[in-house]
Amino acid sequence: MTIYSTFKTDPARLRRRLLALLLDWMSWGYVAYGVMYFLNDYWWRIPLERFYTTLTLPPWGWPAAVLGTLAMAILCELTGYSLGERALKLEVKEERPLTKEEFLMGRAAGKPFWRTQWGVMAVLLLALTVALGWHIVKIDLEALFRPSRRAREMLGEIFPPDFRYFLVPDPAFELRGVPYSILNLMVITVFMALLATVLGAAVALPLSFFGARNIMGFSPVGWLVYGVVRGFFNVFRSIETMLWAVVFAIWIRWGSPLAGIMALTIHTIAALGKLYSEQVEGIDPGPVEAVVAAGGSRLEVIRYAVLPQVVPSFWAFTLYRWDINVRMSTVIALVGGGGIGDMLFYYKNEGEWALLGAVVATIVAVVWAMDYLSGRLRERIV
Amino acid sequence: MAPRYPEAFVHEKPEWTVWNRIADFLYFGLGNLRKHLSIALLDMGGIAILWILTSYVIIRLSTGEIGYTLVPWWAFGLGVAEAAALWESFGRSFGHRVARVELRRVDGGDPALHQRFAYWLLWHVSVLPLVGLLFSPPLHERASGLALRPFTMEGRTPKPWWRTSTGIYVAWLMGVALLAAISVTISWEDLVRLFTRAGTTAKFWRSFFSPDTSIILKTVRALIVTVFMAMTATAFAVMVAVPLSFLAARNLMRGLIGRSIYTVIRVTMSIIRSIEPVVWAIFFLVWVRVELAPFAGMLALFVHSVSDLTKLYAERLESIDPGLIEAITATGANRLQVLRYAVIPQIVNPYISFTLYRWDINIRMATVVGVVGGGGIGQALFFYLKGNLWTQAGTVMLFIIALVWAIDYLSARLRAKLA
Amino acid sequence: MAEPYLVVEHLTKVYERGHVVALKDVSFEVQKGEFLVIIGLSGSGKSTLLRCINRLIEPTKGRIFIDGVEITRLSPRQMRRFRRKIGMIFQHFNLIKRATVMTNVLTGRLGYNPTWKTLLGLFPRSDRELALRNLERVGLLEKAYVRADELSGGQQQRVGIARALMQQPELLLADEPVSALDPATSHSVMQYIEQMNREDGVTVLASLHFLSLARRYGTRIIALKDGELVFDGAPEEIDDRKFKEIYGEEAEEVEIR
Ligand SMILES: Nc1ncnc2c1ncn2[C@@H]1O[C@H](COP(=O)(O)OP(=O)(O)OP(=O)(O)O)[C@@H](O)[C@H]1O
Ligand SMILES: [Mg+2]
Repeated sequence: MTIYSTFKTDPARLRRRLLALLLDWMSWGYVAYGVMYFLNDYWWRIPLERFYTTLTLPPWGWPAAVLGTLAMAILCELTGYSLGERALKLEVKEERPLTKEEFLMGRAAGKPFWRTQWGVMAVLLLALTVALGWHIVKIDLEALFRPSRRAREMLGEIFPPDFRYFLVPDPAFELRGVPYSILNLMVITVFMALLATVLGAAVALPLSFFGARNIMGFSPVGWLVYGVVRGFFNVFRSIETMLWAVVFAIWIRWGSPLAGIMALTIHTIAALGKLYSEQVEGIDPGPVEAVVAAGGSRLEVIRYAVLPQVVPSFWAFTLYRWDINVRMSTVIALVGGGGIGDMLFYYKNEGEWALLGAVVATIVAVVWAMDYLSGRLRERIV
Repeated sequence: MAPRYPEAFVHEKPEWTVWNRIADFLYFGLGNLRKHLSIALLDMGGIAILWILTSYVIIRLSTGEIGYTLVPWWAFGLGVAEAAALWESFGRSFGHRVARVELRRVDGGDPALHQRFAYWLLWHVSVLPLVGLLFSPPLHERASGLALRPFTMEGRTPKPWWRTSTGIYVAWLMGVALLAAISVTISWEDLVRLFTRAGTTAKFWRSFFSPDTSIILKTVRALIVTVFMAMTATAFAVMVAVPLSFLAARNLMRGLIGRSIYTVIRVTMSIIRSIEPVVWAIFFLVWVRVELAPFAGMLALFVHSVSDLTKLYAERLESIDPGLIEAITATGANRLQVLRYAVIPQIVNPYISFTLYRWDINIRMATVVGVVGGGGIGQALFFYLKGNLWTQAGTVMLFIIALVWAIDYLSARLRAKLA
Repeated sequence: MAEPYLVVEHLTKVYERGHVVALKDVSFEVQKGEFLVIIGLSGSGKSTLLRCINRLIEPTKGRIFIDGVEITRLSPRQMRRFRRKIGMIFQHFNLIKRATVMTNVLTGRLGYNPTWKTLLGLFPRSDRELALRNLERVGLLEKAYVRADELSGGQQQRVGIARALMQQPELLLADEPVSALDPATSHSVMQYIEQMNREDGVTVLASLHFLSLARRYGTRIIALKDGELVFDGAPEEIDDRKFKEIYGEEAEEVEIR
């Protein structure tokens, strides 16, 4: 009946209500999924691998599931606080005046969350997630605490690490005919990160102004450019560096540092561009007005009103990105991006655990040092 | 060298023992040593890096080999120390700039040339063996009549920093660093390929518009595994990181034992954090059986998340408002009550927010961890790539992008709500 | 003369870090029911003095007696029990921002209730009733279940007062209770504190920035300068010369009404 009354009154509220219903429906659908999963696992004994492909439901099963979960969702909405209502802050407070007793005991502040239905639902979903996760991920504590013979072997060898090839190139390990030492490859790796960061920042900097609402104005062209730039940032950002490395490894060649640099650069442009333009959008409009009032052009506005406000945070973001790039560049070789990762995976495949230990130790030291350095610098800047 | 103890103390405690003096000497002396040494080390380190990079470029460009110093190591060491001494004596060095000090006469005036010269000569006998720095002021400063003073702009005409010696340093450094980086990472053939072989990826992009529908169910299955890897890893990581964060917060861990626990946890965590999840996945794939690929991937994410979350949580704990703690303590509350009423209300929302952030990262990482065999959609992608099945690989990538984008959006929205 | 309620003897506080002497050999006595105002420049040690009295800060030297008990000798556990009798309010209110006013006020009873119950947020009925009565007293009954950060500054400080009232204190320490408030609100807050002093017989130690407020509300004034006690007497005794002595030569008195 609460739903009905809001139906009539307020269309905006109605939309939120429907959204809340959708959320509830989805959560009940999830519960149904979980139940099906466990039924399959324990009762029907269908191998999990086939569960998603052979749907063991009778013909009426699907509509029943859809309608059943919908019914549960509606029931939730009607009986009290539902998860969806809560998430959208739609809870209906009772209108009648509270008795003195209720006021005293804090009824006006609402029930503690574990006694409301949305709380029950939230706990249920959480428990279901962990239970499902336990099965889907195949968590096996025995395997964790009773490691294989190979694992014990590895542990025995990895300490102490063998730094034999730290300065001297390892003759067994060659990249395109040239043997490398750990130090040489590590330096190359850091250089990869450096180039990617510098290139990325240099491209992202001008682009970010085109991706800032307040700079682009509200003309149709402005909207278009803004949309295109922001769209580029968003799409390219959600493609991980590793995936880019795959593309460039095919494009250029497997194991070329340039492939790694390109991958890091593209992701850096998108990620930094988004951060930069958000920063530009968040500036104080006062100085902009002042420059405009003094007759400044758009470029002058950027130079004298926008840049001074954003430069410190630009530096901070760039340093932060530098940090990420150093980390990334150590493993990008996995998908053909070059750098010290090549050595890491080579030793892993050869089972040279002691040498692998030295590589990992070097990576830890460098990443840690860069992390510390960029952290200190950021502290100083901000 | 009278230690600047507060009057009240000197007044109340006249019985200075030898031990007191030694303790004072060490306390003030070591503080002095630390300050001056950090300046000298910064300068020497800065010059060493510049030297190495310059040599690197020269060697690389002239011979195509990799080398670092051009000259023997001992000559390199001497040169670096000498350059640092000159820079500190005759200019305002990088270290001075970082420490925000400058070299002035004791009476505050500009140093005369002969004083600078004396400072430079004495630098060698005072700074290099370190003993001179134990005194306050250090011996070479005292003897040359100069002192490091906090830098002020008073009575100066401003000069942009890029026109100072530090400016030259930075410009030079950037120049050689970029040259060195380009010379060693980018080869001519690779560059040519970058511009001529873009066509090889065409098949890949085409699959974005005509995905292989026959593998959709399989991909969804792998996607679900990936999502659950990230979820369980995050959930378990939170359970471990929340208690750990209290032990890793400097303001809560006082005293000798507290500080040692704090240090051990912080150091361990930063080491763990320095190793990418992918490397952890390699380790855990050996540790647990290979058939348990998703489990190994989950463990890798878990370990990395624990260290990352502990750091984020602890930093948040360190910045809580001490006023509220004071207020609750002042009511006569005990430690647990202070925790419940002064600490927890301040951290709940940030903790949830950090967790969502980490969840987002874990989803991304779970796809990557799969590539080394950590299960889920990453493994599927790697499988298709190895088999040169571009269309299928493109399809899988499409799913990954959609998932990452959705989770990113969701977590950002939720975090905005929490803020 | 009766036995003084609070005795501070040769109190010295040295902050190890930075080697600051915040208090130098400060001694004074306070009778029961007095409204003692502490004045002094910023950094003169007012906050430090107040926090030494309930040992939020450990004094370096000296002794403090409250009601004949030497609190500088109490164990941490005994000190916690003793703090129940000492209410405190703060310049920046120090409320739990995300919690309701009611919860904030109830925290004043933490020392009186068993730990496990308070950890679950369970307070006895009598405490809740007391909380509502105290909120009524400071005129905030309707706001009982509003989140604390939704209130104005003056209202938040009144919540702070209600929290202190919950402790049913014998001594109230107020560290610049009105510095963050505008003049009109300042007076209303000061009046609630005065009311506590007059009606409940609570001894009050308040640090204030404005001399006019000090004169209006204090029954006695002490002044600190660089951690030293430089004045101790009735409000009327502070003339122009004294004022310059406390605040420095260039200071000018500002009126606040
Ligand atoms: N935790 C601390 N560590 C070191 N020094 C401190 C600390 N707290 C205060 N001080 C120093 O002690 C002195 C007295 O500080 P206090 O806060 O008591 O002054 P105040 O009179 O309350 O000043 P204000 O009016 O600004 O609040 C100051 O010089 C201050 O710098
Ligand atoms: Mg103060």
